[in-house]
Amino acid sequence: MNIRSVADSLSVRNKIGSKTKVRGLSLIQAPNLIVGRNMDFDDIKKAVVDLDVETVKKLVTQLLKQKTRPEEIMEQGLIAGMKEVGRLFTCKEYFVPEVLMASEAFYAGFDLVSPLLKTDKMNEKGKIVMGVVEGDIHDIGKNIVKVMLEASGYQVVDLGKDVPTEKFIEAVTRENPKILAMSALMTTTMMKMRDVVNGLEQKKLRNKVKVIIGGAPANNDFAKKIGADGYGEDASAAVSLVEELIG
Amino acid sequence: MDKIRQVINKERKTAVFPIVCADHCVRLLNMSLAEVANDGKKLAQVLEYGYQTYQYDMVLVFSDPYVEAQALGCPIKFSPSPTLLGPKSNRVTDRTGEIIKAAELLKQRVDVPVFVSIKGPFTLASFLIGIEDFLKALIAAPKKAEEVINQALEFQIGYLKRLLKVSANIFIGDPVASSSVISPKLFERFAFNPIQILIKKIKEQELITGVHVCGETKPIIPILDELGADILSIEDITPKTRTLKMGGVSTDTILAGNETRIKSEIKQALNEPYLILATSCDVPAETDMKNIKTMMEIAHTYHRN
Repeated sequence: MNIRSVADSLSVRNKIGSKTKVRGLSLIQAPNLIVGRNMDFDDIKKAVVDLDVETVKKLVTQLLKQKTRPEEIMEQGLIAGMKEVGRLFTCKEYFVPEVLMASEAFYAGFDLVSPLLKTDKMNEKGKIVMGVVEGDIHDIGKNIVKVMLEASGYQVVDLGKDVPTEKFIEAVTRENPKILAMSALMTTTMMKMRDVVNGLEQKKLRNKVKVIIGGAPANNDFAKKIGADGYGEDASAAVSLVEELIG
Repeated sequence: MDKIRQVINKERKTAVFPIVCADHCVRLLNMSLAEVANDGKKLAQVLEYGYQTYQYDMVLVFSDPYVEAQALGCPIKFSPSPTLLGPKSNRVTDRTGEIIKAAELLKQRVDVPVFVSIKGPFTLASFLIGIEDFLKALIAAPKKAEEVINQALEFQIGYLKRLLKVSANIFIGDPVASSSVISPKLFERFAFNPIQILIKKIKEQELITGVHVCGETKPIIPILDELGADILSIEDITPKTRTLKMGGVSTDTILAGNETRIKSEIKQALNEPYLILATSCDVPAETDMKNIKTMMEIAHTYHRN
C-alpha cells in the first residue's frame, strides 16, 4: 500500500479531520489528535522487528509529541511489530533471545503509550490470568506468551513464577478472567497444573474459566489428562489457542 | 571392553542406558535429594542402587544441574527439587568435591563406565547472570555474554582437571544452547568453542566424552558433529550424524507411556546401525520402576551384538 492510498483510506475513516503538514509529513488532523502516516508506524514496526529499543522509544515519543493517536501507534506500530516477530519465531528465523529483545522494544513503546490508551479499548478482548506453577521459576516462556497476548489486545494479570495453587484460585475468583494460563518447565512441577484444575473444580469455578497450559514437558495429551481446555506449544500457538477459545 | 566403548568402536551395535539420575534413585530409597546432593558417599550409594536395580550399561553421576553454578555463588534451594534462586552472589557452596568423591566410589563399585555430568559453559554462564538477561546479552551486549562464558569455561576447565584425575568419563550438558532456545548462528558463535575446548581435554586423557543437548537439535546437527565428541545424546535421533547417537525413548513415554509405546519407540530406534539406546533426557524422578524395567527388558529382547 503506498502513502497516498493510506492517506486516502485514513481520510475516509476520519471525515471530520482536515489535512495538515507537520515537519514535512502529510498528516490528517482530527479535532485533538493526529493520525500518523503508515510510514511512521512502519518505522516503529521495523524497529520492534530489528530489536531496536532506543529507536522504538524515540519514534513513539516523537509521534506522541505530534499528538498521533496512541491507539494507532499501538496497533499499527508496536502490535504489528510483535505480530511479525511472532511469525519469525514460528518459522524459526527468530529464537528466544530475539523474541526477548523484541519484547523489550515492544514494552519500551507500550510503557509510553499505555497511560494514554482508554483501558476498556485496550482490554476489550478479555482478561487472562497467567503464571508459572509452584516450585518452578522458569518464566521466560510465560513472559513471551504474556507479551504476545498483550500485543494481541488481551489484558494480562501476571502472577509471576513459583505460584502456589491457592494463588491461582484466588486470582480466578478475584479477577474473573476468561482464561487461566499456566506453565511448567519441569516434569517435577507439571502435575501442579492438575492440582490447580482440581482446585478450580472444588471451588466450582472450573466452568467459569477456560484453562490452557504450556511448557516443555506438557503436550495435548497431558492437557486432556488433567482436564485443561488446551495446550499451546509455543507463544504463537498460545495466542491462536486463546483466539480459538474466546476470540 | 565395556559395552559403551564397544558401540563407540562399532564392535557392538547397542548398549542401553535409561538416563537414571539421583532424583529418581532417592525416591526408590525414600531419601531426599538435598541430603544426597550434598554428600558424595550418599550420592554414590543411590546411584549404585539404581544401577543394581536396572542393570544398565553405564552410570551417570548427576544430582542436579546447579552444582557448578552454586560453586560459583548462585543460590540454590531444594524443595524437594533443586531450584536456582537467582544469579551469582557472594555465598559459595562448593559441591564439586562431593561429585568427584561419588565418581571415585562408583568406579570401585560398578563394572560399567562411570560418567560425570558437567554443564556446558554456555548453559553455566546463563545460570550465572540469569537466563533471561544472558539471552538478551547475546544480542544486546555480546562482549559481556562472552566474558561470562569465559568465566564459566575457566571454572569448568579447573573442575574437569580434577575429574580427569579420577579417570571419570564426561557428559557435557548444554540444554540452554539447544535450538529450542537459540539459533544455530548463536550456537556457533557462543556455545561451540567452549564445549570443544573441554572435549579436547577429555580426549587427551582417552576418556569417553558425550554431549547432551535436549530440546530441538536438528538445525545444529552438523555443528554438533564437528565437536568431536564420542556420543551425542539428543531428543530426536532421526537425523543422520557421524557421531554415535544416544536416545530413542522419549521422556514422556518413559514417564507416562505403556509397554506398547515403549516397545514401538525402541523398535524404531534400533533401526540405527549403532546406538546407545537411552531416554531422550533424564528419567523424570517420579517415573514408575515398571516402565524402566520394561525398557531394559524390551531392549534385551531386541538384543543385537
